[in-house]
Amino acid sequence: MGAYRADDDYDYLFKVVLIGDSGVGKSNLLSRFTRNEFSLESKSTIGVEFATRSIRVDDKIVKAQIWDTAGQERYRAITSAYYRGAVGALLVYDVTRHVTFENVERWLKELRDHTDANNVIMLVGNKADLRHLRAVATEDAKGFAERESTFFMETSALESMNVENAFTEVLAQIYRVVSRKVLDVGDDSTYFPKGQTINVGSRDDVSAVKKAGCCSS
Amino acid sequence: MVKKKVPDWLNSALWSSSSTTTSSFSYSDTNRFDHHSSTSVSPPIDPPLPPAATRDEQQHPTRHHHNYHPRKPDIKEDKYSKSSIVNDNISNNNSNNSISNNKIHNRKADNTESSAEDISNQALLLTELSRKVINMGELRRIASQGIPDGAGIRSTVWKLLLGYLPPDRSLWSSELAKKRSQYKRFKEELLMNPSEITRRLEKTMGFDNDDAKSESRCVLSRSKITHGEHPLSLGKSSIWNKFFQDSEIIEQIDRDVKRTHPDMHFFSGDSSFAKSNQEALRNILIVFAKLNPGIRYVQGMNEILAPLFYVFKNDPDEEMEACAEADTFFCFVELLSGFRDLFCQQLDNSVVGIRSTIARLSHLLKEHDEELWRHLEVTTKVNPQFYSFRWITLLLTQEFNFTDSIHIWDTLLSDPEGPQDGILLEQWYQVPPFGYKPRLQYWTTMILKTINIEEETLLRVCCAMLILVRRRLLAGDFTSILKLLQNYPPTNISHLLYVANKLRGQPSH
Repeated sequence: MGAYRADDDYDYLFKVVLIGDSGVGKSNLLSRFTRNEFSLESKSTIGVEFATRSIRVDDKIVKAQIWDTAGQERYRAITSAYYRGAVGALLVYDVTRHVTFENVERWLKELRDHTDANNVIMLVGNKADLRHLRAVATEDAKGFAERESTFFMETSALESMNVENAFTEVLAQIYRVVSRKVLDVGDDSTYFPKGQTINVGSRDDVSAVKKAGCCSS
Repeated sequence: MVKKKVPDWLNSALWSSSSTTTSSFSYSDTNRFDHHSSTSVSPPIDPPLPPAATRDEQQHPTRHHHNYHPRKPDIKEDKYSKSSIVNDNISNNNSNNSISNNKIHNRKADNTESSAEDISNQALLLTELSRKVINMGELRRIASQGIPDGAGIRSTVWKLLLGYLPPDRSLWSSELAKKRSQYKRFKEELLMNPSEITRRLEKTMGFDNDDAKSESRCVLSRSKITHGEHPLSLGKSSIWNKFFQDSEIIEQIDRDVKRTHPDMHFFSGDSSFAKSNQEALRNILIVFAKLNPGIRYVQGMNEILAPLFYVFKNDPDEEMEACAEADTFFCFVELLSGFRDLFCQQLDNSVVGIRSTIARLSHLLKEHDEELWRHLEVTTKVNPQFYSFRWITLLLTQEFNFTDSIHIWDTLLSDPEGPQDGILLEQWYQVPPFGYKPRLQYWTTMILKTINIEEETLLRVCCAMLILVRRRLLAGDFTSILKLLQNYPPTNISHLLYVANKLRGQPSH
């Protein structure tokens, strides 16, 4: 598939985090986007999981480094390290469980406490395929997203609905912020094209990718 | 920069081949302990002793269902073949009930042909288990070499190692009876529906005078419910309020129990067998959460519970099988009391919490393989938290297939200085010396003593996991390293444990 590119062939590297309550489908959104896989019985995520995929935005190749974190409250203190360097986030709730939507506000606060104000955030109502079980109205979520100036989309990792759109939209928005920043400011340390790159872990991460490749030896 | 010299054995060709061994190296009981025998790390195992089966029958009145025939695997015994999920049978790929996980290695079908060592290990364990008073030091020593699958040996040995069964066999039946009835009471008290509690409360308060009357008329005597215990009461102490709080935790437990080993028929699927096993896990986790309000339920506890319950439920002894839930509960508590601080969020940043444990892993790696440590933490800046958090908190249950994890647990649980020889929990509540500084020092010493004895083996295995893939790690960048460590490749477990054991001594400089 043309969309799945070699690991070390990219112009930009963006770190994106997936957050939201336990059981809303974060891991399945990630596996749908990066491997086109879905599992009804996936295990709960403990700590963090990590996957990458590159997509094309305009004429540039953007590599997304996506971090999937544990949803349970207990793990939040630990996961704070995972926010470091993130430039985008998908804040996921489950449209069939209203409590997961109520908790979105807390997640948003935590996200804003840990990341740059320019962070691109998309509110994602997952499990939209379960129409008969819907507990959160689309309008309510849309309203919330408008008030909080985040993007909004409803998805179904199971039916593969909007998953691609949600991720690519976030990545494209980050790209837009970055290219605008490079034009406007020029020396902002958070957003840089490759070579100097954004602070995902460290600058070495990126140059190291170019040098070593993956598991080649 | 002065680099610490890497010990020669780290660069041995053995290590680098390990990541790919599984294809050429079929993991079977026959070669599980090859590495142990070829080195002098562990004391050599004596030649096989005669099977202890007959002697065992006489000396083992409470366990007469057990068939300790070392050479006779469960798979042959029709009596137990219905469950077909006894450890041995994992290798039986044709069995409908056997685990379908294709990650589980295809072990040789004829595992009746165990190696001399395996049999000797089994014979040694059986001899030890047949003693009137079991020598725990000896049991640990033998069990740390691996416990043979089958004949319910592991089920008994784990219960001993976790301190659930006392070393004195004459106490077993009374001890088990006591604990099992205690668990029954916990369940009755803690899993009760609030309306049941209210009803009982009313009874004790003398409201039940005309219960029979109102019941016969099918009228609920609503006025009799006290204000504090009405479902809509806002009182903090209201039973209903508590119930609604609990229900959030219970929903979380339900979600995770359903997601426990979805690839194994034992835990997952629509069979009544799987359903009743899920129910047992659920009960244990709820009872634990309610008895431990400071910890409650932490995601991942289900994964630690699963191996215990699986092993106990597959005990060929019918009584042991029937009481697996109660036994698992207490063993789970024992196990967590060794590792509970890792689950406590308030302790995350303390000396006993998860961060400190991860830091000690990092330190251990630096001590034994500074080059690898430097590459991971300085050059590629891979925060050890990103991979070892799950390794440590879930006691390596997620990194290998189920059978392999169980073999790792044999070693973890039989840590020579294992949990129950450590500092008793009661000691935590003893009055420490007065004054801020002496007090702090006292606690720090206590804490350090505790963690050192309980987690060392686990950390050595984690460190060995890094060392085994060092060549790939050294060639990798941030992304490839993380991907490798978050999806650890299939590995020969006895080899891994051998390397971990090597780290026991002083690092070579």
